[in-house]
Amino acid sequence: MAKITDNTRNEVKEIVLDFFAEECEVDAEEISEDANIISDLDGDSLMFLELIEIFKKKYNLNIELKTIGKYAVKHPVKTIGELIDMQMLIIEHENNILDL
Amino acid sequence: MKKKAYIFPAFITEFTGKEISFLEDHNIDINTYLSNISESLAIELPTFSYEHEFYKEELNSQLIAYSFSCAFSDILKSKQIIPDYIAGYSMGIYASLYASGSIDFIQGAQIIFKAYNLVKALSDEGLHGMGAVVGLTYSELNELILKHNYALEIINTNNEHSLVLAGKKNDLKELLTIAKDLGALSAGDLTVNTPYHSRFLKQFAAPFRCFLDQLNISDSKLPLISTYDQKLVFKVSDVKLELVINLTESINWGRTMLKLIDLGVEEMYECGAGKDLKKISRFIHGNYKIKSVYNI
Repeated sequence: MAKITDNTRNEVKEIVLDFFAEECEVDAEEISEDANIISDLDGDSLMFLELIEIFKKKYNLNIELKTIGKYAVKHPVKTIGELIDMQMLIIEHENNILDL
Repeated sequence: MKKKAYIFPAFITEFTGKEISFLEDHNIDINTYLSNISESLAIELPTFSYEHEFYKEELNSQLIAYSFSCAFSDILKSKQIIPDYIAGYSMGIYASLYASGSIDFIQGAQIIFKAYNLVKALSDEGLHGMGAVVGLTYSELNELILKHNYALEIINTNNEHSLVLAGKKNDLKELLTIAKDLGALSAGDLTVNTPYHSRFLKQFAAPFRCFLDQLNISDSKLPLISTYDQKLVFKVSDVKLELVINLTESINWGRTMLKLIDLGVEEMYECGAGKDLKKISRFIHGNYKIKSVYNI
Protein backbone atom coordinates (compact mmCIF):
# COMPACT_ATOMS: atom_id res chain seq x y z
CA MET A 1 0.00 0.00 0.00
CA ALA A 2 1.20 3.50 -0.78
CA LYS A 3 2.06 5.75 2.11
CA ILE A 4 -0.43 8.56 2.52
CA THR A 5 1.08 11.89 3.46
CA ASP A 6 -0.41 15.32 3.99
CA ASN A 7 0.57 16.12 0.46
CA THR A 8 -1.06 13.08 -1.16
CA ARG A 9 -4.46 14.67 -1.66
CA ASN A 10 -2.87 17.68 -3.33
CA GLU A 11 -0.91 15.37 -5.61
CA VAL A 12 -4.03 13.38 -6.50
CA LYS A 13 -6.01 16.56 -7.06
CA GLU A 14 -3.36 17.95 -9.36
CA ILE A 15 -3.28 14.75 -11.44
CA VAL A 16 -7.08 14.61 -11.70
CA LEU A 17 -7.41 18.28 -12.65
CA ASP A 18 -4.58 18.12 -15.19
CA PHE A 19 -6.14 15.03 -16.71
CA PHE A 20 -9.57 16.62 -17.14
CA ALA A 21 -8.05 19.93 -18.23
CA GLU A 22 -6.31 18.19 -21.11
CA GLU A 23 -9.40 16.17 -21.99
CA CYS A 24 -11.73 19.16 -21.92
CA GLU A 25 -9.20 21.60 -23.40
CA VAL A 26 -9.61 24.05 -20.51
CA ASP A 27 -7.28 25.36 -17.81
CA ALA A 28 -7.06 23.21 -14.68
CA GLU A 29 -7.92 26.29 -12.60
CA GLU A 30 -11.31 26.42 -14.30
CA ILE A 31 -12.31 23.01 -12.95
CA SER A 32 -13.82 23.04 -9.47
CA GLU A 33 -14.25 20.12 -7.11
CA ASP A 34 -18.00 20.57 -7.50
CA ALA A 35 -17.88 20.04 -11.25
CA ASN A 36 -20.06 17.14 -12.37
CA ILE A 37 -17.89 14.66 -14.23
CA ILE A 38 -20.51 13.66 -16.76
CA SER A 39 -22.63 16.74 -17.34
CA ASP A 40 -19.94 19.41 -16.91
CA LEU A 41 -16.87 17.60 -18.17
CA ASP A 42 -18.29 15.04 -20.58
CA GLY A 43 -16.54 12.27 -18.67
CA ASP A 44 -17.13 8.58 -19.13
CA SER A 45 -16.07 5.24 -17.69
CA LEU A 46 -13.10 4.89 -20.03
CA MET A 47 -11.72 8.20 -18.77
CA PHE A 48 -12.19 6.92 -15.22
CA LEU A 49 -10.37 3.73 -16.19
CA GLU A 50 -7.47 5.66 -17.69
CA LEU A 51 -7.15 7.71 -14.51
CA ILE A 52 -7.05 4.54 -12.46
CA GLU A 53 -4.24 3.22 -14.64
CA ILE A 54 -2.32 6.47 -14.09
CA PHE A 55 -2.66 6.12 -10.31
CA LYS A 56 -1.83 2.41 -10.39
CA LYS A 57 1.46 3.21 -12.08
CA LYS A 58 2.30 6.27 -10.03
CA TYR A 59 1.65 4.65 -6.65
CA ASN A 60 2.45 1.05 -7.68
CA LEU A 61 -1.00 -0.05 -6.56
CA ASN A 62 -2.21 -3.61 -6.23
CA ILE A 63 -5.88 -3.37 -7.06
CA GLU A 64 -8.11 -5.09 -9.57
CA LEU A 65 -10.36 -3.04 -11.80
CA LYS A 66 -13.29 -5.23 -10.82
CA THR A 67 -12.73 -4.38 -7.17
CA ILE A 68 -13.01 -0.70 -8.06
CA GLY A 69 -16.09 -1.45 -10.15
CA LYS A 70 -17.78 -3.22 -7.23
CA TYR A 71 -16.91 -0.34 -4.91
CA ALA A 72 -18.15 2.23 -7.42
CA VAL A 73 -21.54 0.50 -7.70
CA LYS A 74 -22.06 1.02 -3.96
CA HIS A 75 -20.40 4.43 -3.82
CA PRO A 76 -21.07 6.17 -7.13
CA VAL A 77 -18.92 9.18 -7.92
CA LYS A 78 -20.45 12.26 -9.48
CA THR A 79 -18.13 15.18 -8.88
CA ILE A 80 -14.42 15.83 -9.22
CA GLY A 81 -14.14 16.15 -5.44
CA GLU A 82 -15.76 12.74 -4.94
CA LEU A 83 -13.45 11.28 -7.56
CA ILE A 84 -10.39 12.64 -5.75
CA ASP A 85 -11.68 11.19 -2.47
CA MET A 86 -12.24 7.80 -4.11
CA GLN A 87 -8.74 7.80 -5.58
CA MET A 88 -7.39 8.55 -2.10
CA LEU A 89 -9.24 5.52 -0.73
CA ILE A 90 -7.93 3.36 -3.56
CA ILE A 91 -4.37 4.48 -2.86
CA GLU A 92 -4.78 3.90 0.85
CA HIS A 93 -6.64 0.61 0.84
CA GLU A 94 -6.04 -0.96 -2.59
CA ASN A 95 -7.84 -4.32 -2.83
CA ASN A 96 -9.15 -3.96 0.72
CA ILE A 97 -11.33 -1.05 -0.31
CA LEU A 98 -14.37 -3.34 -0.33
CA ASP A 99 -13.91 -3.97 3.39
CA LEU A 100 -14.55 -0.34 4.23
CA MET B 1 4.66 13.62 -44.96
CA LYS B 2 2.59 12.02 -42.22
CA LYS B 3 0.11 9.37 -43.29
CA LYS B 4 -3.49 10.28 -42.66
CA ALA B 5 -6.78 8.47 -42.29
CA TYR B 6 -10.38 9.52 -42.13
CA ILE B 7 -12.34 7.60 -39.53
CA PHE B 8 -16.12 7.69 -39.46
CA PRO B 9 -18.37 7.24 -36.40
CA ALA B 10 -21.59 5.23 -36.47
CA PHE B 11 -24.02 7.26 -34.43
CA ILE B 12 -23.88 10.58 -32.60
CA THR B 13 -23.93 9.95 -28.87
CA GLU B 14 -23.60 13.62 -28.11
CA PHE B 15 -23.04 16.68 -30.27
CA THR B 16 -20.13 18.93 -29.39
CA GLY B 17 -22.31 21.93 -30.21
CA LYS B 18 -19.69 23.19 -32.66
CA GLU B 19 -20.90 21.22 -35.67
CA ILE B 20 -23.25 23.72 -37.28
CA SER B 21 -21.04 26.77 -36.87
CA PHE B 22 -18.10 24.77 -38.23
CA LEU B 23 -20.11 23.83 -41.32
CA GLU B 24 -21.36 27.39 -41.74
CA ASP B 25 -17.78 28.67 -41.58
CA HIS B 26 -17.16 26.51 -44.62
CA ASN B 27 -20.34 27.59 -46.37
CA ILE B 28 -22.06 24.27 -45.86
CA ASP B 29 -25.66 23.90 -44.80
CA ILE B 30 -26.43 20.46 -43.36
CA ASN B 31 -30.04 20.95 -44.42
CA THR B 32 -28.99 20.81 -48.06
CA TYR B 33 -27.74 17.26 -47.43
CA LEU B 34 -30.98 16.43 -45.63
CA SER B 35 -33.09 17.87 -48.46
CA ASN B 36 -31.24 15.69 -50.96
CA ILE B 37 -31.99 12.63 -48.84
CA SER B 38 -35.65 13.60 -48.46
CA GLU B 39 -36.01 14.00 -52.19
CA SER B 40 -34.30 10.78 -53.14
CA LEU B 41 -35.98 8.59 -50.53
CA ALA B 42 -39.39 10.30 -50.71
CA ILE B 43 -39.35 10.97 -46.99
CA GLU B 44 -39.45 14.23 -45.09
CA LEU B 45 -36.45 15.06 -42.95
CA PRO B 46 -37.11 18.23 -40.95
CA THR B 47 -34.72 21.15 -40.64
CA PHE B 48 -31.94 20.12 -38.31
CA SER B 49 -31.63 21.39 -34.76
CA TYR B 50 -29.56 19.91 -31.94
CA GLU B 51 -32.63 19.34 -29.80
CA HIS B 52 -34.81 17.73 -32.45
CA GLU B 53 -36.19 14.45 -31.08
CA PHE B 54 -36.83 13.29 -34.64
CA TYR B 55 -33.11 12.75 -35.18
CA LYS B 56 -32.84 10.48 -32.16
CA GLU B 57 -34.99 7.77 -33.76
CA GLU B 58 -33.03 4.81 -35.13
CA LEU B 59 -33.23 5.45 -38.89
CA ASN B 60 -33.08 9.23 -38.59
CA SER B 61 -30.11 9.07 -36.25
CA GLN B 62 -28.26 7.07 -38.89
CA LEU B 63 -29.18 9.51 -41.65
CA ILE B 64 -28.11 12.57 -39.66
CA ALA B 65 -24.84 10.93 -38.59
CA TYR B 66 -24.20 9.99 -42.22
CA SER B 67 -24.95 13.53 -43.42
CA PHE B 68 -22.60 15.17 -40.93
CA SER B 69 -19.87 12.67 -41.70
CA CYS B 70 -20.13 13.25 -45.43
CA ALA B 71 -20.16 17.03 -44.92
CA PHE B 72 -17.07 16.88 -42.71
CA SER B 73 -15.17 14.74 -45.20
CA ASP B 74 -16.17 17.17 -47.97
CA ILE B 75 -14.56 19.99 -46.00
CA LEU B 76 -11.39 18.02 -45.32
CA LYS B 77 -11.04 17.22 -49.01
CA SER B 78 -11.63 20.84 -49.95
CA LYS B 79 -8.73 21.71 -47.62
CA GLN B 80 -6.55 19.20 -49.47
CA ILE B 81 -6.32 16.99 -46.39
CA ILE B 82 -6.39 13.78 -48.38
CA PRO B 83 -6.30 10.49 -46.48
CA ASP B 84 -4.14 7.48 -47.24
CA TYR B 85 -6.72 5.17 -45.68
CA ILE B 86 -10.30 5.23 -44.48
CA ALA B 87 -12.27 3.23 -41.94
CA GLY B 88 -15.86 3.38 -40.78
CA TYR B 89 -17.02 2.35 -37.34
CA SER B 90 -20.14 0.21 -37.71
CA MET B 91 -22.65 2.24 -39.72
CA GLY B 92 -19.84 4.70 -40.38
CA ILE B 93 -18.98 2.41 -43.30
CA TYR B 94 -21.48 4.24 -45.50
CA ALA B 95 -19.87 7.65 -45.10
CA SER B 96 -16.44 6.09 -45.48
CA LEU B 97 -17.46 4.64 -48.85
CA TYR B 98 -18.83 8.03 -49.85
CA ALA B 99 -15.47 9.61 -48.99
CA SER B 100 -13.64 6.92 -50.94
CA GLY B 101 -15.70 7.59 -54.06
CA SER B 102 -17.18 4.10 -54.06
CA ILE B 103 -20.74 5.38 -53.68
CA ASP B 104 -22.30 8.80 -54.06
CA PHE B 105 -24.16 10.62 -51.31
CA ILE B 106 -27.61 9.49 -52.41
CA GLN B 107 -26.54 5.87 -52.79
CA GLY B 108 -25.25 5.93 -49.22
CA ALA B 109 -28.61 7.17 -48.00
CA GLN B 110 -30.39 4.54 -50.09
CA ILE B 111 -28.27 1.77 -48.59
CA ILE B 112 -28.95 2.99 -45.04
CA PHE B 113 -32.66 3.19 -45.82
CA LYS B 114 -32.72 -0.29 -47.35
CA ALA B 115 -30.76 -1.90 -44.51
CA TYR B 116 -33.03 -0.27 -41.96
CA ASN B 117 -36.20 -1.37 -43.70
CA LEU B 118 -34.92 -4.91 -44.19
CA VAL B 119 -34.30 -5.39 -40.49
CA LYS B 120 -37.28 -3.32 -39.37
CA ALA B 121 -39.61 -6.29 -38.85
CA LEU B 122 -37.09 -7.77 -36.43
CA SER B 123 -36.48 -4.43 -34.71
CA ASP B 124 -40.19 -3.75 -34.36
CA GLU B 125 -40.64 -6.94 -32.33
CA GLY B 126 -38.73 -5.11 -29.61
CA LEU B 127 -37.06 -8.36 -28.57
CA HIS B 128 -33.51 -7.46 -29.52
CA GLY B 129 -31.03 -4.85 -28.47
CA MET B 130 -27.43 -3.88 -27.94
CA GLY B 131 -25.37 -3.05 -24.89
CA ALA B 132 -21.89 -1.94 -23.88
CA VAL B 133 -19.68 -3.11 -21.04
CA VAL B 134 -16.56 -1.39 -19.74
CA GLY B 135 -14.21 -3.06 -17.29
CA LEU B 136 -14.58 -6.78 -18.02
CA THR B 137 -12.41 -8.70 -20.46
CA TYR B 138 -13.63 -10.38 -23.63
CA SER B 139 -13.14 -13.82 -22.14
CA GLU B 140 -14.90 -12.92 -18.89
CA LEU B 141 -17.92 -11.63 -20.79
CA ASN B 142 -17.93 -14.52 -23.24
CA GLU B 143 -17.77 -17.04 -20.40
CA LEU B 144 -20.88 -15.48 -18.89
CA ILE B 145 -22.70 -15.71 -22.21
CA LEU B 146 -21.79 -19.38 -22.59
CA LYS B 147 -22.44 -20.25 -18.95
CA HIS B 148 -25.97 -18.83 -19.00
CA ASN B 149 -26.61 -19.85 -22.61
CA TYR B 150 -27.62 -16.30 -23.45
CA ALA B 151 -28.70 -15.48 -26.98
CA LEU B 152 -26.04 -12.79 -27.16
CA GLU B 153 -22.81 -12.10 -28.99
CA ILE B 154 -19.89 -9.80 -28.34
CA ILE B 155 -20.08 -7.96 -31.62
CA ASN B 156 -17.32 -5.42 -31.22
CA THR B 157 -14.17 -4.80 -29.23
CA ASN B 158 -13.48 -1.09 -29.01
CA ASN B 159 -10.38 -1.68 -26.93
CA GLU B 160 -9.29 -4.19 -24.30
CA HIS B 161 -11.69 -2.72 -21.73
CA SER B 162 -14.71 -1.77 -23.85
CA LEU B 163 -16.99 -4.33 -25.48
CA VAL B 164 -20.28 -4.15 -27.35
CA LEU B 165 -22.98 -6.83 -27.28
CA ALA B 166 -26.02 -7.65 -29.40
CA GLY B 167 -28.81 -10.15 -29.11
CA LYS B 168 -31.98 -10.91 -27.20
CA LYS B 169 -33.05 -8.03 -25.01
CA ASN B 170 -34.05 -10.09 -21.95
CA ASP B 171 -30.75 -11.92 -21.93
CA LEU B 172 -28.92 -8.64 -22.40
CA LYS B 173 -30.67 -7.13 -19.42
CA GLU B 174 -29.67 -10.08 -17.23
CA LEU B 175 -26.09 -10.08 -18.45
CA LEU B 176 -25.66 -6.35 -17.84
CA THR B 177 -26.84 -6.80 -14.26
CA ILE B 178 -24.43 -9.69 -13.71
CA ALA B 179 -21.60 -7.70 -15.31
CA LYS B 180 -22.18 -4.84 -12.86
CA ASP B 181 -22.24 -7.25 -9.92
CA LEU B 182 -18.93 -8.71 -11.08
CA GLY B 183 -17.31 -5.28 -11.09
CA ALA B 184 -17.78 -3.82 -14.57
CA LEU B 185 -17.21 -0.08 -14.36
CA SER B 186 -20.20 0.45 -16.58
CA ALA B 187 -22.74 -1.82 -18.23
CA GLY B 188 -25.71 -0.38 -20.05
CA ASP B 189 -27.97 -0.87 -23.01
CA LEU B 190 -27.76 1.16 -26.19
CA THR B 191 -30.90 2.80 -27.50
CA VAL B 192 -31.36 0.51 -30.49
CA ASN B 193 -33.72 -2.37 -31.14
CA THR B 194 -31.60 -3.90 -33.87
CA PRO B 195 -28.85 -6.43 -33.03
CA TYR B 196 -26.37 -5.04 -35.55
CA HIS B 197 -23.26 -7.04 -36.48
CA SER B 198 -24.71 -10.28 -35.18
CA ARG B 199 -25.98 -13.66 -36.38
CA PHE B 200 -29.53 -12.46 -35.75
CA LEU B 201 -29.31 -10.42 -38.96
CA LYS B 202 -27.93 -13.19 -41.17
CA GLN B 203 -31.36 -13.80 -42.67
CA PHE B 204 -31.09 -10.36 -44.29
CA ALA B 205 -27.71 -10.93 -45.95
CA ALA B 206 -29.07 -12.29 -49.23
CA PRO B 207 -31.75 -9.63 -49.86
CA PHE B 208 -29.30 -6.90 -48.85
CA ARG B 209 -26.73 -8.24 -51.29
CA CYS B 210 -29.43 -8.36 -53.99
CA PHE B 211 -30.17 -4.70 -53.38
CA LEU B 212 -26.48 -3.76 -53.48
CA ASP B 213 -26.12 -5.55 -56.83
CA GLN B 214 -28.73 -3.22 -58.30
CA LEU B 215 -26.66 -0.15 -57.41
CA ASN B 216 -23.85 1.27 -59.47
CA ILE B 217 -21.15 0.92 -56.84
CA SER B 218 -17.54 1.60 -57.85
CA ASP B 219 -14.14 0.44 -56.71
CA SER B 220 -12.92 2.31 -53.67
CA LYS B 221 -10.39 4.97 -54.67
CA LEU B 222 -8.87 4.81 -51.20
CA PRO B 223 -8.05 1.68 -49.23
CA LEU B 224 -10.84 0.93 -46.78
CA ILE B 225 -9.86 -1.06 -43.70
CA SER B 226 -12.34 -3.85 -43.11
CA THR B 227 -13.60 -3.73 -39.54
CA TYR B 228 -14.35 -7.44 -39.88
CA ASP B 229 -10.88 -8.83 -40.72
CA GLN B 230 -8.79 -5.65 -41.14
CA LYS B 231 -7.96 -6.42 -44.79
CA LEU B 232 -7.67 -3.59 -47.28
CA VAL B 233 -10.76 -3.28 -49.45
CA PHE B 234 -10.64 -1.78 -52.95
CA LYS B 235 -12.63 -3.79 -55.48
CA VAL B 236 -16.33 -3.30 -55.92
CA SER B 237 -17.02 -6.98 -55.21
CA ASP B 238 -15.15 -6.67 -51.91
CA VAL B 239 -16.92 -3.41 -51.11
CA LYS B 240 -20.29 -5.13 -51.48
CA LEU B 241 -19.14 -8.09 -49.41
CA GLU B 242 -17.89 -5.71 -46.73
CA LEU B 243 -21.26 -3.95 -46.65
CA VAL B 244 -23.08 -7.25 -46.10
CA ILE B 245 -20.58 -8.54 -43.56
CA ASN B 246 -20.78 -5.24 -41.69
CA LEU B 247 -24.45 -5.96 -41.07
CA THR B 248 -24.25 -9.60 -40.11
CA GLU B 249 -20.83 -10.33 -38.61
CA SER B 250 -18.99 -9.05 -35.58
CA ILE B 251 -16.50 -6.24 -36.07
CA ASN B 252 -13.37 -5.24 -34.20
CA TRP B 253 -12.75 -1.52 -34.07
CA GLY B 254 -9.75 -1.84 -31.78
CA ARG B 255 -7.95 -4.08 -34.28
CA THR B 256 -8.96 -1.75 -37.10
CA MET B 257 -7.30 1.16 -35.33
CA LEU B 258 -4.19 -0.95 -34.72
CA LYS B 259 -4.10 -1.84 -38.41
CA LEU B 260 -4.11 1.86 -39.30
CA ILE B 261 -1.29 2.43 -36.82
CA ASP B 262 0.66 -0.51 -38.26
CA LEU B 263 0.24 1.00 -41.72
CA GLY B 264 1.99 4.10 -40.43
CA VAL B 265 -1.01 6.38 -40.00
CA GLU B 266 -0.13 9.16 -37.56
CA GLU B 267 -3.06 11.50 -38.07
CA MET B 268 -6.65 10.30 -37.91
CA TYR B 269 -9.44 12.75 -38.62
CA GLU B 270 -12.75 11.94 -36.95
CA CYS B 271 -15.23 12.72 -39.71
CA GLY B 272 -18.46 13.19 -37.87
CA ALA B 273 -20.44 14.98 -35.24
CA GLY B 274 -19.50 14.40 -31.61
CA LYS B 275 -16.20 12.85 -30.56
CA ASP B 276 -17.13 9.24 -29.90
CA LEU B 277 -14.17 7.74 -31.76
CA LYS B 278 -11.68 9.88 -29.87
CA LYS B 279 -13.27 8.72 -26.63
CA ILE B 280 -13.03 5.02 -27.43
CA SER B 281 -9.48 5.35 -28.73
CA ARG B 282 -8.23 5.21 -25.13
CA PHE B 283 -6.11 2.12 -24.54
CA ILE B 284 -5.29 1.87 -28.25
CA HIS B 285 -1.63 2.63 -28.04
CA GLY B 286 0.60 3.83 -30.83
CA ASN B 287 2.21 6.79 -32.51
CA TYR B 288 -0.93 8.55 -33.68
CA LYS B 289 -3.30 11.37 -32.86
CA ILE B 290 -6.99 11.73 -33.48
CA LYS B 291 -7.24 15.20 -34.91
CA SER B 292 -10.27 17.36 -34.47
CA VAL B 293 -11.70 18.63 -37.73
CA TYR B 294 -12.55 21.87 -35.94
CA ASN B 295 -8.87 22.81 -35.79
CA ILE B 296 -8.00 22.41 -39.47
